[in-house]
Amino acid sequence: MRRIFFFGLVIILLSIAFGLTEIGYCEQNRVVREITVLTRPKASSPDEFETITLVVEAMKKIGINAKAKVMPWEQMADVVWYDRDAWDMTGWQMTARPERLDPDEFTFNLFHSSTAENGYNFIGYNNPQYDQVAEEQRVTIDQERRRELIYQAQQIIADDCTYIFSVNPLVNIVYNNQVFAADSIQEMAGLGIKNFWTYLNATPKGKQKDLILNSNDTVQAINPLYISGTVDSWVTELVWDRLMRMAQDGLPRPWAAEKVEWQDNTTVKVVLRDGMQWHDGKPVTVEDVKFSFEVPKTGEAPMYKPFVDIIAQIDIVDDHTLVFNLKKPWAAFETASLAKINLIPKHIWEPIIADLKNKPENAESHQEAIPIGSGPFKFANWKFSEEVVLTANPLYFQPPQIENWIARFIPNMEATLGMIQNGEINFLATYLGDKQLLQQRVEADPKLTMVSSTDLGFRFLAPNHRRPPFDDVAFRRAIAALTDRELIAALVWKGFAVPGDGVISPALEYWDNPNVNYPSGGVEEARMILKKAGYEWDSKGRLLYPEK
Amino acid sequence: MILTMWVIATILFFIFRLMPGNPLVAYIDPTFTEEQQQILLKQFGLDQPLWYQYFVFLKNLGQGELGDSFFFRDSVVNVIGKVLPNTIYLMLLSLLLAYTIGIMSGIYLAWKRGERIETVGIVLTLFTRAAPQFWVGMILLAVFSFRFGLFPSGGASAAGTVYASEWEKLLSPSFYHHLFLPALTLAIYLLGLPLLLMRSNMLDVMKEAYVDMASMRGLSKLRVMLKYAARNACLPVVTAMAVGIGYAMGGNVVIETVFSWPGLGRLLVKAVSTSDYPLAQGAFILIAGVMVIMNFVADLLYSILDPRVTLENRR
Repeated sequence: MRRIFFFGLVIILLSIAFGLTEIGYCEQNRVVREITVLTRPKASSPDEFETITLVVEAMKKIGINAKAKVMPWEQMADVVWYDRDAWDMTGWQMTARPERLDPDEFTFNLFHSSTAENGYNFIGYNNPQYDQVAEEQRVTIDQERRRELIYQAQQIIADDCTYIFSVNPLVNIVYNNQVFAADSIQEMAGLGIKNFWTYLNATPKGKQKDLILNSNDTVQAINPLYISGTVDSWVTELVWDRLMRMAQDGLPRPWAAEKVEWQDNTTVKVVLRDGMQWHDGKPVTVEDVKFSFEVPKTGEAPMYKPFVDIIAQIDIVDDHTLVFNLKKPWAAFETASLAKINLIPKHIWEPIIADLKNKPENAESHQEAIPIGSGPFKFANWKFSEEVVLTANPLYFQPPQIENWIARFIPNMEATLGMIQNGEINFLATYLGDKQLLQQRVEADPKLTMVSSTDLGFRFLAPNHRRPPFDDVAFRRAIAALTDRELIAALVWKGFAVPGDGVISPALEYWDNPNVNYPSGGVEEARMILKKAGYEWDSKGRLLYPEK
Repeated sequence: MILTMWVIATILFFIFRLMPGNPLVAYIDPTFTEEQQQILLKQFGLDQPLWYQYFVFLKNLGQGELGDSFFFRDSVVNVIGKVLPNTIYLMLLSLLLAYTIGIMSGIYLAWKRGERIETVGIVLTLFTRAAPQFWVGMILLAVFSFRFGLFPSGGASAAGTVYASEWEKLLSPSFYHHLFLPALTLAIYLLGLPLLLMRSNMLDVMKEAYVDMASMRGLSKLRVMLKYAARNACLPVVTAMAVGIGYAMGGNVVIETVFSWPGLGRLLVKAVSTSDYPLAQGAFILIAGVMVIMNFVADLLYSILDPRVTLENRR
C-alpha cells in the first residue's frame, strides 16, 4: 500500500513538473526575441541617437528586450541597403529637395512592392491595396482626384505604420538684415528661405551687393548632366534654367516655358518664353530644349535617365512650341521632368556627346571650363574646395538684384557662427551645430534674422517588415504608439521640429492629409494594441507572441 | 624605397576595401535604380574581382597613374593638383616659423641653463606640444577672428577674389592674411621638436673642448654661443626638419578643417568618408611618398653636413 502510494506520488510529481516545463517551454518559445535598433553615432547624429535611445527605453517598458546599436553611416547604409534581411529596425531620414515637393517620389518609390528587392522600399513593405493607390496617383493627371488618392495613401501608411515616424525638423536659416531687405527674402514651402526665389529676389540695402553663403560640403562638379552633391545642385539650378520651376507654394509653375498645357493625359504642349539667351549670347531655341530632354536617353547621362524615360517623342511644332508625347500618363511629369531637366545649349553639348560616344566615360565626367547655361546667374569662378562665384545675368528675363552669389565651403561649424556675426558671410545656408546656441546668438545680435520653416524632409525609424515581429501590423502600431513624438520634438530637437505622422510634410498644405490617424497614445495604448492582437506577458513581464 | 612604397600601396589598397561601406552608399536615393547601380559599379571598375582590381591598381601606379576619383569624376592627379599647392604653402610657412623660433629659443634656453626662465620655457614648450591642434586653432580663431576681427575665420582668400595666376595669389597680402592663423597653429605644434632638440644639442656641444677653448680665448658669450656651439648643434635639427616636412604633409587634416583651408587634408577626409578609393589611395600614397623621400633626404643631408657619417662608417 505504502509502496503504491509512494509510486503514485512520484508519477503525480513528475507529471506536474513535466507539465510545468512544457508550459515554460511553450512560453520560452513565444518570448519576443531581442530587437536591435541601428543608429548613427551621437557625435555625428545626436538627434537620431537620442530619439532611438528614447524609443528603446519605451520598448523595454512593454517587455521588449530592445537595444540600440551604433554604427557609422557608411556601415549602416551598407547593411540596411545591401543586406536587407539582416537588421530589425534602423534610424533613417529623408531630406528635402525641390523635386520632392511632388508627392510621387515619397508615395511610390518608398513603399511600392516593386522597389522592395533593390530599390528604396528597403523595409520590404508589401501591400497590394497600397500598390494600387500608389500606381493610380501616378497616372492621375486631374489634380483634385490625385489629391484624394494621395490622402488615401497617407492613411494606409498610417494604418499600417509602415514607418515609425518621429519628426519633421525645422529648417533654420539666418541672414544679415543689414545687407538684405527683409521683404525680399522668400520663404518656400518645405525648403525655407534657402531657395531659388530668394537668390533671385534678395535686394541689397547698402554697399554689400553680394550674397555670401556657407556650405559644410564642397562642390564636386558643375555639370548640368550629373547629379552629384547637394551643393552642386544649388549651383546648377542657378546657372541652367528649367522649363518649369517649383513655386513658393510647392507646386510647379511655367518658367522658361511661357505656357505648359496638357492636351490629353499623354500629350503636353510647351510654349517657350521669347527672347531668352545662353550666357554666350546665342538664342535659346526649341531645338536646344528638345536636345536637353533627349541627351539623358543616349546613355551618356544615366543619372537623369529616370526623369525622361517616360517621354516617347518630342515634336517641334514651330519656333516657340514643342509637344511632349508620353508613353503613359505621369502625374509628376511637371515636377520630376519639366522642372528637373537643365536646359543645355545644343551647340556646345552636341559635339561633346558625339565625342563621348566612342569613349568609356560619359557626360558625367565632363567639366566645362566655363559652364554655359541660360539661368539667372552666370558662372564666374570656382576655387576648388574653397568657393564658387556666380554673377548676375543682366539679360535674364527677371534679372537678380544681387551682383554675385558666392558659396564658401566651410567645414568648421563654429567658425561659420563667427563668420555670420562678423560679416564674412551674410547668409547662413547650412548649420549642423547646436540649434539653441544659434538662436541665442541671433537673439543677441540685432543684425541677424533667423527664419524657421517646417522641412520637407522627415526623420523616422524604419522597421524591417521581412522579419518578425515587425511583419505584424499590431506590433508596428504598438511601437508607433509608444514613440512619444511630442517629447522627441521638445526634448531631442529642443523645439526645432514638429511631430511627424507621414511622408508628406505639413509644409505642403496642398498634399498633406490633416486628418491622418496615427497611433500616439503612449505605453498604455501600445499595451492595449498588443493585448487586442493576442500578445501576452510572462511572469517576468516579457512580451509573448500570440498563441498560434 | 620601392619596396616600402609597394608595401604601403598594398596596405592602402586593401584597407580601404575592407572598410565597412561602399562608394555606392553615397548615391542611395529613392530615384536610384538597379540599372544605375550597375552602371556605376562598372564605371568604378568595382564589378571586377578584387585580385584583378589589385593588379590593375599596381600596374597603373607603376606608370604614375592613380585612376579617377569616383565623386569628382576627374583624374586623381588633377584633383590633388588643385589643392596640393595650398597645403605646401601652409607647410612651408609653418615650418619656417617653427624652426626659426624653435632654434632661437633652443639656444636661448640652453644659455639660460638652470635659471627660472628655462623651467618656464620647457613647461610651455611641452604644453604647446601636447595641446590638441584643433583646440589651439579654435582658441586662436576665437581670440583673433571672432573677438578682435584681426584675421579672417577661414578660407584662403576673401569671398569673390579672383587671382589671374598662382603668382598673383602668392604676391597678394590677402593670401598671407588668411594663411597666418593656420600656419601659426601648425607652427605652435611643430615648435617643440626643434626647440627641445636644439637645447639638448647645445648642452652637449657646450661641454666640448673647443667651446671651452673659444671661451678661454675671451670671445663674448654671444659669439661663442652662436658661432661655435649653435653651428654644430644645428646639424641634427636640420635633418629633423627634413623628416618634419614629411610629417607636416600628413598632419594638416585637423588644421585644414578648423580653418577651412582648401588643402590636401580636407580632401583626404572627404575621400575617406565617401569611400572614394582612388582619391584616398592617391592622397595617402602621396603623403607616404613624401615621407619616404624626406627620410632619404635626411640621411643624405646628414652625410653631407657631417662628413664623419658615411655609409661605410655605419657598417
